[in-house]
Amino acid sequence: MIKMRRLAASGVLLTIALLLIVPLDAQDLSDRAKQIGGKFMCMCGCSQVLTQCNHVGCTTSSGMLKELNKAIASGSSETAITEMFVQQFGTKVYAEPPKSGFSLVAWTLPSIYLILGTLLVVFVISRWRKHALEPVAGAANAGAIPQELLERARARAARETED
Amino acid sequence: MDVFGSFALVLAFVCAVYAFAGGIGAIVTRHPLLVKSTRQAGIAACCLIFLATFSLEYLFFSDNFANAYVVSHSNRDLSTFYKIAALWSGQEGSLLFWSFLLSIYIFSVLITYRNKNGELMPYVGVVMAGVQIFFLTLNNFVASPFQALAVPGANGAMNLVARADGNGLTPLLQYPEMVIHPPNLYAGYTGFTIPFAFALGALLARYPGEKWIHLTRKWTMIAWMFQSMGILLGAHWAYAVLGWGGYWGWDPVENASLLPWLTGTAFLHSVMMQEKRGMMKVWNVWLVFCTFALCILGTLLTRSGVVSSVHAFARSSIGSWFVGFLLLILVVCLGAYLKNRDYLKSENQLDAIVSRESSFLFNNLMLLVACVAVLSGTLFPVFSEWFTGNRISVGAPFFNKVNIPIGLLLLFLTGVGPLLAWRKTSTESLKRNFGLPLGIGMAAGVAAFALGVHEFYSLVCFILCVFVASTIALEFYRGAKVIRARSGASLFTSAVDLTMRNTRRYGGYIVHMGMVLVFIGLAGAAFNRDTQKEMQLGSTMQIGPYTLVLQSADSKPERNYTAQRMIIEVMRDNKPIMMLYPEKRRFVTTVENGTMVAIYSTLKEDLYVVFAGQSPDTQVPVIHAYLNPLVKWIWLGGAVVVLGTLVALLPNRRAVLVLAGAHEPSTATQTLQPGLTPSVIRREGHD
Repeated sequence: MIKMRRLAASGVLLTIALLLIVPLDAQDLSDRAKQIGGKFMCMCGCSQVLTQCNHVGCTTSSGMLKELNKAIASGSSETAITEMFVQQFGTKVYAEPPKSGFSLVAWTLPSIYLILGTLLVVFVISRWRKHALEPVAGAANAGAIPQELLERARARAARETED
Repeated sequence: MDVFGSFALVLAFVCAVYAFAGGIGAIVTRHPLLVKSTRQAGIAACCLIFLATFSLEYLFFSDNFANAYVVSHSNRDLSTFYKIAALWSGQEGSLLFWSFLLSIYIFSVLITYRNKNGELMPYVGVVMAGVQIFFLTLNNFVASPFQALAVPGANGAMNLVARADGNGLTPLLQYPEMVIHPPNLYAGYTGFTIPFAFALGALLARYPGEKWIHLTRKWTMIAWMFQSMGILLGAHWAYAVLGWGGYWGWDPVENASLLPWLTGTAFLHSVMMQEKRGMMKVWNVWLVFCTFALCILGTLLTRSGVVSSVHAFARSSIGSWFVGFLLLILVVCLGAYLKNRDYLKSENQLDAIVSRESSFLFNNLMLLVACVAVLSGTLFPVFSEWFTGNRISVGAPFFNKVNIPIGLLLLFLTGVGPLLAWRKTSTESLKRNFGLPLGIGMAAGVAAFALGVHEFYSLVCFILCVFVASTIALEFYRGAKVIRARSGASLFTSAVDLTMRNTRRYGGYIVHMGMVLVFIGLAGAAFNRDTQKEMQLGSTMQIGPYTLVLQSADSKPERNYTAQRMIIEVMRDNKPIMMLYPEKRRFVTTVENGTMVAIYSTLKEDLYVVFAGQSPDTQVPVIHAYLNPLVKWIWLGGAVVVLGTLVALLPNRRAVLVLAGAHEPSTATQTLQPGLTPSVIRREGHD
């Protein structure tokens, strides 16, 4: 068992060490086009990301990609390219909501759900733990209908149903 | 035949209304004759819907171009295979198809329980009839598929006409999977009506226990299985037909199918808490309510045009009907809950934080967080337009960023949950169960890193996949070893025996293993590569280890379209390995283009080749090739998930023996384990 624990610990440490020394890949022009293009939607109405829209007959994506390549070749920054597309197509060109203004709501909501959900789970667990420690008090406060009535209803359900 | 179908639908509506109103009367009066007659009315409504559906299909097969729906979605040259699929290719037909599938479920329930659960069934029947009435209202009065084709005459009156041929089927739907994907998905959506009806019925009937869960477990699993198959087949269709190299684009329609699947999955897990410990009764009822409501919401999103999607083939103003129905569902569920919530009192107590109960709670939390995150992301464009006047798109990058960490946490819980004990897990047990899988997972992570897997999420995913697979394999091994020691059979035979003794538990493990395979496939997406090139005949293209040579091109006239085909030889290490034929199809009647991707699929990777058309400047064919690692694992995983679900649906071997005449141990003499509900003792095989 000790050997196994050592093996697991070494595995974790080695993984972390290797992760820390990952070299960053140098990006060439087409990679940059793919990276920036991945932040916009194709405006043909297909709901696909610009660089992934390849459905037959789509002339919109090819036009947008040409514009993107042209802008990159002329040395435009990502911000300038984004502004150009937003001016041309409006905010619906974003593939993901920008992290500013009202769009921040979209980004914060999942975290809020997670936090609220976790708090709820913690609350539920602590309440159940309390019930386990104080079974008599827990049962007394549990519900509005008498236990006898509940038992009778339970027996009725068992009697009236079969799998 | 269109008059026949139309008449059948009207009669079905009348029968369903009688089943609903008579059912309420039966609940109030408890008159046996009324109970029986409402059940018969429910069965009659289902049979009439079957007749209406078959008559519409007959109109397609007989090329009846006097029917407006047939004209819009079929033509003489359309193959028989796709004439079946034409039924659900448009708004009116797909709604009828929905009613049809719903009727299969309702019919099965009414027949299965015709002599059982006499007190509960009228409630269930009323709920099912209520849902049926809604869809029959749409079928009859809002979107009838039996409308005759008519044109305005000179005097302004409408004249009935018949066309020589129809407009044909949307090219995107002329693909084999489109004949099986929508039925599966719809069977999932409609299937959740049954647990919903039982949950609401049991609440209205003030049934406090777990009975409704026992009664609906199989129905829920069947619906879940169809939903899973539908989602995966849809992903495969998107992969093979849309030609963008991916299988999941977080499109609103895809998301709509995922939402009830997530809550349904949460329900299938939390239901065990209620069965084992009498906990989470309110939660389970609401999970079922939400799952059904999300099915209706998904249909609303698909059909209303609220959100734009490449998959939405049927769009209209029908959305307001679904909004109304959705609100009605929520009001009825809330009302029933508020009135009878006391009967859902739980025997809530938790002995330790490190326990199976906690893992289920966190599993439900993650599934629900994923669900609401996907829902709010899908609806965010609508909300942003309401609040700011600008529609802000939410595409795949957002959903990936939000859902990948959640998915990985769920994967982790998939490995951890089943190995934790009910009530309390000791430190020793933790070490015994997790030490080895954790070590194997880490070792696999190091190996994957050394082999070039440097993308963070993919690496974590691989580690977790190996960890979860190890925990499952160990579970099988430990159990099979015990049986082998007793029986002397081989380890594999013992594992099969073990599975058949507790199908639910080990079927569940098989489902988990399927999900592991799916995750392995998803992790491969980080390493997708693609290249696009204008190719003259004889020219080559290199992608990964493959060399593609454009050998020739031809044109192949088919019955319903003409295919322009590229003939590409695939070579590896200068050795030819196969020919690929990506093609572009020109459909005659719709004058639309379709594509047929050519895929060379192995467990390691998919070579995915698309004929993207001709360059507008040079008229030279453009070939787009993708190298997508591990995609096959996703489809393989899907098959394993279905297999696991089927295993879990089987009765336990020991239970079969009991039914066959073996002596069942008397429940009166059994000692109830502390914290377990009596029903658990009666039923074997709960995990």
